[in-house]
Amino acid sequence: MTTKTIIEFRQVHKRYPTGQLALYNVNLTIHAGEMIFITGNSGAGKSTLLKLIALLENPSKGDVLIDGTPLSHLQARQIPNYRRRIGFIFQDPHLLYDRNVFDNVAMPLLISGMPATDITRRVNAALDKVGLGKKTKSYPLMLSAGERQRVGIARAVVNRPTMILADEPTGNLDPELAQDIMHTFAQFNDIGVTVLIASHDHGLVERMKKRILVLQRVEL
Amino acid sequence: MTEKRPLAKPRPATSNNFGRKSRVWLNQQKQAIDFSLKRLWFNPISAWITLIAIALALSLPTSMHVLVKNLQSLTHNNQSVPTISLFLKPKVTEQQANDLAELVKSQPEVLSTTVVTRDQALQDFNKISGLADTLKTLGENPLPNIVVITPKMNDLGVTDADLEDFSKRLKTYKEVEDVQIDIEWIQRLRAILQIAERIVAVVAALLATTVLLVVGNTIRLDIENRKDEIRVTRLIGATNRYIRRPFLYGGLWLGLFGGFLSLLVVNIALLFLVDPVNKLSMLYGSDFNLGGIDLTTTLEVLTVSAGLGLVGAWLAVNRYLWESEVIND
Repeated sequence: MTTKTIIEFRQVHKRYPTGQLALYNVNLTIHAGEMIFITGNSGAGKSTLLKLIALLENPSKGDVLIDGTPLSHLQARQIPNYRRRIGFIFQDPHLLYDRNVFDNVAMPLLISGMPATDITRRVNAALDKVGLGKKTKSYPLMLSAGERQRVGIARAVVNRPTMILADEPTGNLDPELAQDIMHTFAQFNDIGVTVLIASHDHGLVERMKKRILVLQRVEL
Repeated sequence: MTEKRPLAKPRPATSNNFGRKSRVWLNQQKQAIDFSLKRLWFNPISAWITLIAIALALSLPTSMHVLVKNLQSLTHNNQSVPTISLFLKPKVTEQQANDLAELVKSQPEVLSTTVVTRDQALQDFNKISGLADTLKTLGENPLPNIVVITPKMNDLGVTDADLEDFSKRLKTYKEVEDVQIDIEWIQRLRAILQIAERIVAVVAALLATTVLLVVGNTIRLDIENRKDEIRVTRLIGATNRYIRRPFLYGGLWLGLFGGFLSLLVVNIALLFLVDPVNKLSMLYGSDFNLGGIDLTTTLEVLTVSAGLGLVGAWLAVNRYLWESEVIND
């Protein structure tokens, strides 16, 4: 496995406008192709850490570097292109309820202007991967929570991202399903995708036998 | 998956880069057009309300414009509105009348002349007034031959003195009994039309603003309804341009279809007017015809309305995009 650094945090602080201090002096290095779990109590800054990587938030102090380049050097118009390298998965998968499963998953490809035939191929492949190959025409409301979560995962990976960031992806799911989804992530990691998963489910995290990053709540 | 890639903008430096880019661009346009038309189609009530509001706002200046244009055509040189009539002395024969008409036509201020013979005049009079029986009791036709002059409005001069002068010259012909001039009204009409044109411009500007606001508001509501979608698309790497595009097309369609609808409204209104107006102009012996909306005006209206729709949508979307640069999940 390669040891090239893909994500680096240098003395990163994050304080929200409300005054809440989410991250205090975080330094960390993640190698390309790694699979890492971020744990910690709620309010310890797990989500914030992922959001900083996806540029959904900016650090108050310090630098987040991707492939050695600080994200603060990225111009506004370059951000969309950078985000296309990331597959972001939320606890709530943020599906669009007026579109069927296929159209939801196809969105990242539509955005990059891919021809329709390629889109069909890629979307079907992604849905097969998460075990939803037979539900392409269903609407999100017809699916179970676990299925919806897997649609969210399919949408995150359909564009073949180099990084997958998952924020409590198994928060709403029963243990069996949670295990299943973790297994899916591990499969993506096997083909070289860097995977970061924030989770407070210690048992599940331990079982995966990967590097674990523990964030502690800051009291100042 | 792990090979070194630039942080953003992965740009393959191939020779067909341009071709690939334009294909992507075309795909995205097609997507946005499809999508925006579907939105209109599947939200028929809000779409129709907006379209009708636009159509009504546009039809007022359009119909005023058509009206003013029609009235202007009355005052043009080539419009044969008979405005000067020479009533000839009773003894003047038809042949003499024709000769006189030919002579008058050589005057620089005169565009054309026609002779209305006494027989013709009688027939017309019968047709219009229905007093044929009364006339018959007179025994002989009391009407004189008439030479009708269509002047060149531009060469005639505009002051009353000019008209008086021309009238005096016409009276010097020995066949002429009386000169009747109906030109003042045309000159006044011209002055009035100049004011009317300004009024149309003001009304058009006000109602164009209305269209802008109506489209802007409709698109704003549409954005409001699709906030989630915008957030998600942003998250998965949509550019502002990509987010903006379907809304811009949405505005364009509203403007364009609203324009079509307003043309329909104005055309129906004109159909309603055409008969009485033609009857009126016939009574004045004019060959004036109520003109409809010609191709140029049609294209103008559609271009302006589509443009207003586009601008309205642009303003609404840009305001939103400015406000929501950072996504808060």
